[in-house]
Amino acid sequence: MIWPRTRYLITKEVRTIKERIYSRYLQKTSSSGPLSEWSQLLSKMMTSEGKPEALDDMMVLDLSYANFSGNITASFFAEAGAEVIKIEPPEGDPSRIVSPYGANVKGVGIPYLMESRNKRNVALDLSNPEDRENLKLLATRADVLIETFAPGEMDEWGIGYRQLRELNPGLIYIAITPYGHYTAKGKEMAGMPWTDLTSQAESGLAALIGDLPNTPEPYNWPTRAGFYAAGYTSAVGAACGGLVASFFKRRTGEGQMVDIASADAYASCVGFPPTIGYVWKKPRFRYGTLDYGLCPYGFFKCKDSYVAIACFRDQDFRAAMRILGKWKLEGEWKTLLDRITDDIDKVQELNNEVEDAVAKYTYDEINEKFSSFSVKSARSKWRGGGLPVTTKMLTPKEVLQEKHWQIRGSFAKVEHPSYGIVTLPVTGKLSKTPLRVKWLSADIGEDNEYIFKKYGLVEKKSG
Amino acid sequence: MTEDYFGFTNKLFAPQDTDKKAEALKGLRVLDLSHMIFGPTAAKFLAQYGAEVIKVEVPNQGDYWRGGTYWGKYWKHSNPLWHFINQSKYFVAIDVKKPKGKDLILKLAEKADIVIENFTSGTVEAWGIGYSQISKINPKVIYASLSTYGQYGPKRYNPGWDLLAQGASGVLSVTGHPDTDKYFKVPDFFGDFFPGYYAAMLILIALNYRERSGEGQYLDGCQAEILMRALSHFTYHDATGNDLGRTGNSDPTMSPSGIFKTLDGKFLALAIASDKQFQSFCKALGREDLARDEKYNKAFRRLQPEHALTLNKVVEEWVKTKNAAELIELARKHRFAATEVMDDVQICNDEWRQERGSVIPFEDDMYKKLVIEGPIAMLSKTPGRTKWLSRPLGYHNRYVLKKIMGLTEDQIKELEKERVVGNWDYRVGQRPPIYHDLAKDKIFNYEGGEDH
Repeated sequence: MIWPRTRYLITKEVRTIKERIYSRYLQKTSSSGPLSEWSQLLSKMMTSEGKPEALDDMMVLDLSYANFSGNITASFFAEAGAEVIKIEPPEGDPSRIVSPYGANVKGVGIPYLMESRNKRNVALDLSNPEDRENLKLLATRADVLIETFAPGEMDEWGIGYRQLRELNPGLIYIAITPYGHYTAKGKEMAGMPWTDLTSQAESGLAALIGDLPNTPEPYNWPTRAGFYAAGYTSAVGAACGGLVASFFKRRTGEGQMVDIASADAYASCVGFPPTIGYVWKKPRFRYGTLDYGLCPYGFFKCKDSYVAIACFRDQDFRAAMRILGKWKLEGEWKTLLDRITDDIDKVQELNNEVEDAVAKYTYDEINEKFSSFSVKSARSKWRGGGLPVTTKMLTPKEVLQEKHWQIRGSFAKVEHPSYGIVTLPVTGKLSKTPLRVKWLSADIGEDNEYIFKKYGLVEKKSG
Repeated sequence: MTEDYFGFTNKLFAPQDTDKKAEALKGLRVLDLSHMIFGPTAAKFLAQYGAEVIKVEVPNQGDYWRGGTYWGKYWKHSNPLWHFINQSKYFVAIDVKKPKGKDLILKLAEKADIVIENFTSGTVEAWGIGYSQISKINPKVIYASLSTYGQYGPKRYNPGWDLLAQGASGVLSVTGHPDTDKYFKVPDFFGDFFPGYYAAMLILIALNYRERSGEGQYLDGCQAEILMRALSHFTYHDATGNDLGRTGNSDPTMSPSGIFKTLDGKFLALAIASDKQFQSFCKALGREDLARDEKYNKAFRRLQPEHALTLNKVVEEWVKTKNAAELIELARKHRFAATEVMDDVQICNDEWRQERGSVIPFEDDMYKKLVIEGPIAMLSKTPGRTKWLSRPLGYHNRYVLKKIMGLTEDQIKELEKERVVGNWDYRVGQRPPIYHDLAKDKIFNYEGGEDH
């Protein structure tokens, strides 16, 4: 489907209620010059066709094995244009069989399929000396190598950072393991494999998700975030680290080693656990659907969906109470200080009242009420009435149907001879070198011929 | 005999030597116009690896997250959860809505390599400090606009932050127990932090490109889109026609998997990813019959909901009979993944993390000791580091305006009088800790000279 382009870019015409409120600075702008320039730039950003790729001068070896963070890190490089060669043993990377309820397309699991974008698939048997020589040949040419074997394993095979840096001093060697490649615990736990669930647990995430202490077991137990929250966080951390190293290499020619501990990357990303542990002196307990900072702040069940009620400031709270027909509560909960959520029994009272109120409306009713209130208060000079904000919880299926994402091209559909048409989320809208999905390659050894020829690798004599 | 591998790596990374090592992004200047968490996190990552980050705030108001916190708890007149997000930055307070303020910001942008903002789509353009204006005076600039719905598309003006992005992207709908009416958000602003790091990644991609081509560019960082990138649910939906929904404690991609209660009342997370791991797990369990059973020995069958459920029950009963430490030792020996569920205090006091440098008991000149997180990625030659914690609003005004902009004390006084630049008011989060002697503070009263 082709959407009219300019309609969704900046125009003088302001249509929706939301636009009227939140584009107030734009509306005041009299000179149309810069805006039309910006609008032109945005319209050119809607496609990646014919644009250069940022990292197409880089070669990346993806040796990740039974560890999704490695696959994902390599995908980011591949989306930015690097030549990424996924190397796996002839029987395949076990990540292939890690998939929700065993769902697969011709034997390949969904998460693996999703992270097979723009890669070249090569089968090498690293237990065989001839293939190790092939790997060395590749590593001599590579800018980045990503591996997820147990710390010391590659070194034992003679193809670890210690050996490869001699062959290629510019090599950036990214290792992703649960406890990292140094420290006493790293050594002790070297054999522990990666999983997303244990990474979530070890990095303090699982301890915070789940229902309140007074609810029945197992609902009040630590709970898993329902996607690879730790896996993707480690991967973005690894890519960030690798790109910092690559920037340094471009300036000095020097490579280095980048180490990611997936049992910790999540905690380092959000940063709250260590500081709270130090300042609070005691751990937080699970807060159900409540929030540690504000109340009411979360998604509440309405007639037909779940809707966000989020009150940052007192005026937002007053507005929400007025709209939801709960004005009589305002006196008791007037200021932020009254709504601090450290006294759980107390804030639950307020939360329950909001729950009851929200349950009487549909999402559209609430959205309409909130929006028209905001329009009025945005017009008032002091805006003392608050700007209540809401949105609706969407399921992945509903997200796929959103026109907004279709226009932005947030989902690529790629065809592969073995796997048919596959839907893939993609994002990285850079004006000159956008990230993009070009192809999928997920058959074991699919590109052996191409890569062997290109880099002059030697076919094994044995087997 | 060559050196033991960990002997080699311990020397290679040696956290105690960090300060002696090079900084990869040294010499790069970042103008951080962003606020709250999403934008500031991207800027923080760049600061950790050596970029000079100048954070611009509104005088007498500042970033809203200065005054935020959890449970109403403040620390030394500041939000303890603000410091690690704004470490090692320079803090100036300039009013962009005053023409002279706008000019100051444009002059700073002219000298910057990277600009980061996270206002509603179009706001910076209307203020005259957007990409179309700044790229004219600084064509090599990398300009990152970060927002919940992106810069174009019908929802571009919708406001948003962590909570709303989690709802809009589908993230919220996948966490919780399937037989309840509760959906749990991912806590601690995951929906800001993860996109923040992702945005840093995109900026670094643009930087790498600029290094080879000399060209800057514009970047539309869309928070909800970035969260969607972390879900395999869309691919799953289109491949199978089903919605995965919520799966409680277990990971539907691994079987068995879940969070279980041990004999000593602790919580243990356990997950089996590969067939090989399943074989050795069954050995530890003393149930080698399961390892031979056709229902379980291959992953795609083991993952079928009914088989996964049976296996999870077996694990639940087994875990009940053993202490957590004993189970983790078995996991280590038999090479399958199991770990205790760690809480805030355990993470803060974790010896491994302190040795690794991913939890740092930091000694700050102004705020003294605070435990903060270390860098997400450990680099052997150019490691990330923290130089100072956050600073009060407008603390570096003189330092930045004199050193970078070349203004004189009189010119700054004039700007202060006109309320173009300023600093804090009485509110918590903006002002310095009460014990801090400002009169003796050489950076706050910067006159020229030495680096900071």
